[in-house]
Amino acid sequence: MKIKHLCWLIVGIVALLFTNQGFAQGPPIFTDTPIMLGLEGRGIRTFGRYISRENVKVYVQPIAIPYNINAKWQIGAILPYRRLNPESDGASTNSGFGDLNVFTKYQLFQKDRKGKTFRGLIKLSETFPTGNDSETPAVGSGVNTTGIGFVTGYVTIKYGFYGEIGYNIVSDGSPNILAYNFAFSYPLLPQKYPPFQLNLSVDLNGNATPEVDQNILFFSPGLQLITGKRFLLETGVQLPLTQSGYGSNKFNYTYTLGTRILIF
Amino acid sequence: MKQISIIIVALISLVGISYAQEQNTTLKGKIKVQVDGLSCPFCAYGLEKKLKTMEGVAEIKIDVENAFALLTIEEGKTVTEAAIRENVKKAGFTSREITEVTDDE
Repeated sequence: MKIKHLCWLIVGIVALLFTNQGFAQGPPIFTDTPIMLGLEGRGIRTFGRYISRENVKVYVQPIAIPYNINAKWQIGAILPYRRLNPESDGASTNSGFGDLNVFTKYQLFQKDRKGKTFRGLIKLSETFPTGNDSETPAVGSGVNTTGIGFVTGYVTIKYGFYGEIGYNIVSDGSPNILAYNFAFSYPLLPQKYPPFQLNLSVDLNGNATPEVDQNILFFSPGLQLITGKRFLLETGVQLPLTQSGYGSNKFNYTYTLGTRILIF
Repeated sequence: MKQISIIIVALISLVGISYAQEQNTTLKGKIKVQVDGLSCPFCAYGLEKKLKTMEGVAEIKIDVENAFALLTIEEGKTVTEAAIRENVKKAGFTSREITEVTDDE
């Protein structure tokens, strides 16, 4: 789909926002949510993400398993499968499991009202260098990364606003990374329970590495189909609005197709 | 001064007893539970599952738009208001008014 067509699709969908009142929406696609319930609490999530950069094409298939200790405390792990296909002549394709990430989230506050909630949580994570980094291109980073983040969201039955900020400290003295994400989600179909929903998610996803003057901001529209209590399909693209410091390896776009399945 | 202290203690005790009695209120038939924070159908499943674990609950209907859960209790059985509130809290939501309702409501 051409960018122009995509833009018209987004404009059309956004126009529906003002005529389609009173319905609920799902979790954002590219931004974390402070609601650790339902598909975000006791489910398994996986998606395929195709990342197109100027000198490498990457396919990532992470599998994420969160588990709720209770309604306020969640632990989990993410293990990605990665396939890297360099564009340069003579370079070989490499694939395998990447670095294992374990995380915990704890809800700091929860303000509930009829049909709406305002929540915030703290997120801690550690990424271990379990992926092979001895070959080029490497599927593993070879370093530990410690992350601390804050996730918040104001979610009503009509719309949802989400925000996330995180700081990732890299163990070997490499530049640390600041991640910042915002999301807006909106339902496109009348709500019912058990749910059958089509939701729009529009995210802004940024990563900044100030030490090396590197920064990227993606515009990330997506659609989400919830076909029951336990199953969700989602798809979205990420288009760079601005990027600096990436030299000759700039991002072209990313494409994501994924699912979340409630297992517990 | 001593009399005032006794009156205050007695009043506090009365309030405490009244609150405890309200929490131990037994309910039967159809029960409407107003639930705050219920802002998305995809997260309502946890509430349904948690309320279903209560002994005596035969059926649950959740109305996300109007923010309530409707519990149908098995014939001859009861549940306590405290148990409902505890399970709503464990599901990650906040319970408000809990009332017995008739089929007409």
